[in-house]
Amino acid sequence: MKKVACLLLSVVMIATTLTGCGSHQDSNKENTVENVESQAEKKEKVEIACWGNQMLDTYSQYLCEQFPEVEFEFVLATNSTDYYRFRQDHDDMPDILTVRRFALKDAVLLKDYLYDLSNTELTNTYYGSYLDSYTYDDGSINWLPTCAEVDGFIINKTMFDEYNVPIPADYASFIAACEAFEAVGIQPYVTDFASDYCCMEVLQGISISNLQSMEGRKWRQQYESSATNELSEEVWLPVFENFFDFKEKVGLGAEDATYQNITPKEMFSEGKAAMFRGTGADVITFPGRGQDEVLLMPYFGQTEQDNWYLTYPTFQIAASKKGMDDPDREKLILDIMAAMVNQEGQDHISYGKNMVPYKKDVTLELMPELDNLKPYVEQNKLYIRLASNEMFRVSKDVVQMILNDEVSTPKEALDAFNTELALGESGSEIVAHIDTAYSNDFTPEHGNQAASSIANTMRVLSGVDLVFMQACYAASDIYSGDYAQKDVGYLGKNDGGWPGLLELTGDQVYELVEKTLALTGNRGAVCNDSTLYVSSGFEMDITKTDSGYTLNVLTVEGKELDRSATYSFLIYGERDWYMSAIMEQMGITEVDSTGPKAEEYLSQRLVEQGGQLEAPTDYIILR
Amino acid sequence: MQERKQTTKYLWPVAFAVILIFSLMTGIFFTRNSLMKLTVEERSYQLEEMVTQIKANLDNGLQTHWNLVAGLNNAVQGKHFTDSQKLCESISSLEQIFCTDMYGSRVMLLDAQGTAYLREGAVGIWNDVTHLIGENKQHTFVSETDNIDGCYLVFAQELDHPVTMGEDDIRFTHVVLLKDIQTLKQYYTTTAYGGNAATYIIKKNGTMAYFDANDGDVISARNIYKALKEVEYVQGQSFDTVKEKLEREGIATENVLLNQTEYYYCLTTLENYDMMLMLLIPADYVAVSTMDMMDSTLWIMMIFMSIMALMFLMAVVSFIKVQRSSQMVKIEQETNRELNRLRLEAEAANSAKSVFLNNMSHDIRTPMNAIIGFTNIALKQKPKPEVKACLDKISDSSEHLLTLINDVLDISRIESGKIQFSPVPVDITEVADTVVNVTYGFMSNRNLTFRCNLEEPETRYMLADAVRLREILVNILGNAVKFTNDGGTITFDASYHPSADKRHMIVHYRIADTGVGMREDFVEHIFDEFSQEESSARTQYKGTGLGMAITKRYVDLMGGTIRVESKKGKGSTFIVDIPMELTDESKIQKRDISADSKNLTGVKVLMAEDNDLNAEIAMIQLEELGIQVTRAADGKEVVRIFTENPSGTFDVILMDIMMPEMNGYEATAAIRGLTSRSDALNIPILAMTANAFAEDVQASLEAGMNGHLSKPIVMDEVVKAIARNINR
Repeated sequence: MKKVACLLLSVVMIATTLTGCGSHQDSNKENTVENVESQAEKKEKVEIACWGNQMLDTYSQYLCEQFPEVEFEFVLATNSTDYYRFRQDHDDMPDILTVRRFALKDAVLLKDYLYDLSNTELTNTYYGSYLDSYTYDDGSINWLPTCAEVDGFIINKTMFDEYNVPIPADYASFIAACEAFEAVGIQPYVTDFASDYCCMEVLQGISISNLQSMEGRKWRQQYESSATNELSEEVWLPVFENFFDFKEKVGLGAEDATYQNITPKEMFSEGKAAMFRGTGADVITFPGRGQDEVLLMPYFGQTEQDNWYLTYPTFQIAASKKGMDDPDREKLILDIMAAMVNQEGQDHISYGKNMVPYKKDVTLELMPELDNLKPYVEQNKLYIRLASNEMFRVSKDVVQMILNDEVSTPKEALDAFNTELALGESGSEIVAHIDTAYSNDFTPEHGNQAASSIANTMRVLSGVDLVFMQACYAASDIYSGDYAQKDVGYLGKNDGGWPGLLELTGDQVYELVEKTLALTGNRGAVCNDSTLYVSSGFEMDITKTDSGYTLNVLTVEGKELDRSATYSFLIYGERDWYMSAIMEQMGITEVDSTGPKAEEYLSQRLVEQGGQLEAPTDYIILR
Repeated sequence: MQERKQTTKYLWPVAFAVILIFSLMTGIFFTRNSLMKLTVEERSYQLEEMVTQIKANLDNGLQTHWNLVAGLNNAVQGKHFTDSQKLCESISSLEQIFCTDMYGSRVMLLDAQGTAYLREGAVGIWNDVTHLIGENKQHTFVSETDNIDGCYLVFAQELDHPVTMGEDDIRFTHVVLLKDIQTLKQYYTTTAYGGNAATYIIKKNGTMAYFDANDGDVISARNIYKALKEVEYVQGQSFDTVKEKLEREGIATENVLLNQTEYYYCLTTLENYDMMLMLLIPADYVAVSTMDMMDSTLWIMMIFMSIMALMFLMAVVSFIKVQRSSQMVKIEQETNRELNRLRLEAEAANSAKSVFLNNMSHDIRTPMNAIIGFTNIALKQKPKPEVKACLDKISDSSEHLLTLINDVLDISRIESGKIQFSPVPVDITEVADTVVNVTYGFMSNRNLTFRCNLEEPETRYMLADAVRLREILVNILGNAVKFTNDGGTITFDASYHPSADKRHMIVHYRIADTGVGMREDFVEHIFDEFSQEESSARTQYKGTGLGMAITKRYVDLMGGTIRVESKKGKGSTFIVDIPMELTDESKIQKRDISADSKNLTGVKVLMAEDNDLNAEIAMIQLEELGIQVTRAADGKEVVRIFTENPSGTFDVILMDIMMPEMNGYEATAAIRGLTSRSDALNIPILAMTANAFAEDVQASLEAGMNGHLSKPIVMDEVVKAIARNINR
């Protein structure tokens, strides 16, 4: 009897103890979530739509440090204003907008929804002549530029010296250089004509003297004011003549029309090409064969007098009108915007180098590689590209036609261009419908549900075991309703985002996650909750510390990830900087990034299959 | 209802006044607003005038510079320069020829791509080359670029024939005159506002191109239009209306609040130059004299209106007062009418009361006359002692009853104002003497000590109502006798004191006794009607309780005072002071001789008396005196008897008043009216009536009678009256 009583007592005690432990654990979890929530709730939320993942290296971190009282939500937007039209259609305009491609005639469509900056302190430090380009007819200003990216011909001076080719000074010497390199089997000039911006910039860049002429300026004013929507033959026929000549003499062809961004860079880095179209920023990141001396040369004109650099703002910033009637909120947003464009802010753009400021109070360093840029800056021979959305689109189409010999004369090219301009953009018809909306706000309980849905969908469609993507690559909430093709793309489109396929062991998955969380100063770096990564096929238990985030454990359906198992893995992030850095750290060399991009996965599911996105999962425990 | 009517009556003028004052205030308000509007319009007009002048000056100034640019165009167009050095030398040469330095100007040539050449050489692509677009060949704008130091007003002229340079024939498309904008100040600003006018040069889209002000940029905005949209407009206008006017008329002015200060701004279009000119001036400096004048006018108007309002208010108040007075008069009139009605009613009631009193007096006195008369007759028959005792008691009771009747009648008559103070010349010492004698009469059969201290006045003749004065003193002394137990002492002092003037004297009487005295609380009420101290001790004393009340009223009638001091068990002291006017002896009527001395034997009396008992009593008493009495039973009969008998048949007629068929007055009138009788007018007719009041006496005299004897008749009085009238 005594034994039975003792046994019962023991059972009760053990049960009590276990129950107590369990409750304690649950309580801890709840407390953890509550603590994280309460910390987040105290902060003012500000959503910044980043035009590109360049803003995630140090720029986003800088803003978080400048405004510790703000809970920033960074989303990676596309680089055109049209994305914001999509957001506005769903009454979901981010607080601060950034855009790379900008033309006042495109931006005017958003005018009613954006805050007028014309009488703010922000405008005071800009050169008036630059502000004029951003001023509407009623004097209002929505967008302000950051510093200017400088675009031209990056040449490998070392190779020029090696092959005793004179550094070109004008178009003729450039052609001579091309011929010289071609003679030695080196691609003289390469660029990514598969990219619309490249087509447009080269087309305009080699004819700046024409476009900058009095007639060219007059036509541009008419075009930008929508007084005309076709290319002037007087101005543009010579432009196409120049391009035909360029194609001919440089030896461009159909193959060049297929080059994606990475190809010419790899060719240049490998010494297979002597020159490529690039920017001041590219000079820093693509120094030829490693130790080569490179130079950023202008677009060459017929004479040296006609040489110009092509420029455009690294990005423009604007603020939504939403919430700006609250003076405190208005001040906060304007303060953040001021921090984005002040000296310190611009120092975090492209490492604070090789850019040309538009503001009187900002000075940016030019590297020695850009010494020859300085006289051009002094002479103001910096042509600002004509960068309307249609100009990108049609330039790509027509340049590819030229490269593919689909048009045989400059006049045909001009006509084709004008025909496309007249037709306008297609793709506005409804192609998909999403039944369930998911928010891309990060919550400690559920993480980013929109990003989780996209990651799960990509996992299912790609057939991999695990997916790991940065949450901010989900460019917006997933709205329920009808979608046009373009709109489907906006859900997961980012020009710098590439899915990469590889196989990883469990240990490597741990390593990948840990290294990613520890990453700083890189485009895949995590600076706050909104830039955390999303996992699909496994869950992450992460602790938030004063210095960042640390991984506790990875689980699959609640059980710890098998460290010895091998998993097919899809990583979705910035390819050139993040993925290469992580893979290098992990000693992995094979990543297949030739598969579909995120927007293609989404299109496949929503448009081609007519299906729905996968439901999100609770993939994260944030402590 | 009446009050409501009153309220309604005042409501209209008050409402009218309120409406009018409100209208005045509204008028002042609107006048002020109107004046302010006029002021604003005037100030705006003046400002626009000024700005129009400035604009004209600026136009002239700009045109002058355009003329200069035309000269430059002519000087360089079509030229070819071998190199940039030659080109720059030419620019320098042009500057010297056109003296541009002197005017703060520079010459610039622009090549087709926008490269700017100054005399120093090429300075790169001019940032503002984007302005040189459109159909116009001339462009004027403000330029402040980072590649050419300074802020300039640009006069850019597209060359009619391009300049070329070098072997490549670099084409120059524009000649530009850069005019240091500061040197244009004389054109675009004014000293008219004490240097307080800020000038803004604004682009067509509303953005500021340049501003010039001594006190800094008050607007402090790049987008001037937006700033002007957001400021507070003093007159409630908006920038939209300004823009409308600007587009319509080319100039517009408004006043706004900037940093809590009122400013006027005037915007005008520089039509030929794609620019706007704006002057911004603190309101205090705009049309100052006009403002002062307007202020003065406004103040004068305000004061005038205030005075008008005040006057009107006073008029309304006066009107209300008049209305109220009128109303008060009406109320008073109505009150008076009411009072009059009440008075008439009171008079009617009084008259009825008098009639009642007269009737009562008459009707009581008539039997009293019989009682007293027959008692006296009986007493004269030498009755047995026990009968005499009874008769004496009847006599005493009758006398007391008569006193009661007289007191009640007196107080009633006093209250109804029937009794009036009628002083006549008297020997005042005689009054006291009489009173002393009467008092001694009261004290018969009493063991009381009566002390009299009667002072002899310097002048004993005074105007006094001797009868009532005597009654006052007798009343007091009678009470003293009544309320002083045997063995007690009564003191009567009479003294005379000077008054405020020599024509008057204060007659001072003091009556003191050692009687029962009164409680202190009763002393206060001693002069109230029917007041008698409730005590067993006093129940033995007979009285109506009206004696002291009548006394007090008589003293009041005479303008005198009476006061009393009394202590329970110690006695009482009454002090009477009456002012009297002095007179002289000559005015004193001769005293009647004693009735006892009269011998009326043989006198023939015609007596009209309808009451048989009274007639019998009178006849017995008169006949005891040897008088021959012929009785008539009513008025008609007395007239008939008098008429039927020859003159001299009767020596005197005793006429009752209230008789059937014909009353005494009518009968008297009838006798006096007998013109055929020689004695009709002269025969003495004496009223002998129970109508005993003074007005009855007066009525008798007015009816033509010669005297008035009240019932119950006192034979001594009857004798005296007959004797006096037949001269015996």
